[in-house]
Amino acid sequence: MSISPNASTSRLVLKGVIIAVLATAAGIWSARMVLQRPVVEDELAATRFPVARTVQPFELIDHNHEVFDNAALQQRWSFVFFGYTYCPDVCPTTLSVLNSIAQRLQDVDEDIRFVMVTVDPQRDTPERLAEFVTYFNGDFLGVTGTDEALEQLTSQLGILYDRVESEPGSENYLVDHTAAVFLFDPDGRYHAVFTPPLSAENIASDFRKMLQATQ
Amino acid sequence: MVVEGQWVREAPPASRVLAAYMVLKNTADTPRSITRVDSPDFRECQIHRTVIADGIAKMLPVEKLQLPVDGSIVLEPGGLHLMLIEPQRSLRDGDTVVLVIHADNGESITIDVPVVRKTDTAGHAHHHH
Repeated sequence: MSISPNASTSRLVLKGVIIAVLATAAGIWSARMVLQRPVVEDELAATRFPVARTVQPFELIDHNHEVFDNAALQQRWSFVFFGYTYCPDVCPTTLSVLNSIAQRLQDVDEDIRFVMVTVDPQRDTPERLAEFVTYFNGDFLGVTGTDEALEQLTSQLGILYDRVESEPGSENYLVDHTAAVFLFDPDGRYHAVFTPPLSAENIASDFRKMLQATQ
Repeated sequence: MVVEGQWVREAPPASRVLAAYMVLKNTADTPRSITRVDSPDFRECQIHRTVIADGIAKMLPVEKLQLPVDGSIVLEPGGLHLMLIEPQRSLRDGDTVVLVIHADNGESITIDVPVVRKTDTAGHAHHHH
């Protein structure tokens, strides 16, 4: 006995609806597994991503001449700033802010590291970086690499930098660069970004809130 | 012209460029422009302004700093600053440098500026002697 066209169509539609509902439910369920537990976003000065972003492979070296790659971002929180040592104003000021943040977070029972990646690998040798970053805090780490290696990291984070020469061939050129501070979580994922003006108090407080939300 | 609160930020060893900050006040009855700064302690001094636009920090050269009558200009971290290029000697917290600030009317003012270490943002800069 054949089923009338209307009945079979509605049965198909019903199956379709059930599948759609189940799929949506599954989608929501799995998204919730991945999404971080909610923090009231209004309370944060930082921009925290709803889903922390995977960092594609990159390989740089730190001021101790050791490899600094995705593995270096694992098992600890990392505050990363992109600057250069021939910068008299923004970079020293930012490193002072990072030092203040480090001091404020001393009581936190997490491994936290502060890193400056140079946007001026031509002048910023590992030795120069070591001298510069440790002046602000002995635990700070400087990172450099080839232009290509640097691009691998900066391009995926949307970081821009540009050399500015006042006279052609001058050794005293300046470098325009993204001024934000980037936060990576212990899974080595890009977790949040702090945009200027950078306040040690606000950043430290935001970090504590974000930390709570992951626990 | 009066200068107050001047300080040079101590920089990490071997730094080739330092920054000076201060408040410049015009006490004359005509406007003034600062057009040039020099120093026996640096090869060259320039006036710059840090500008953060679209998330990018730039230091832009400033041709002249305008000071209206009874006006003042603040040079501070993240904003206007004097860029001091190539120190003639190693400068540490407690040292003093000399800056000569030239105005467009030919007037100039010579100031002593202390070098101050400031590696955190707590409170005001401390002078260690």
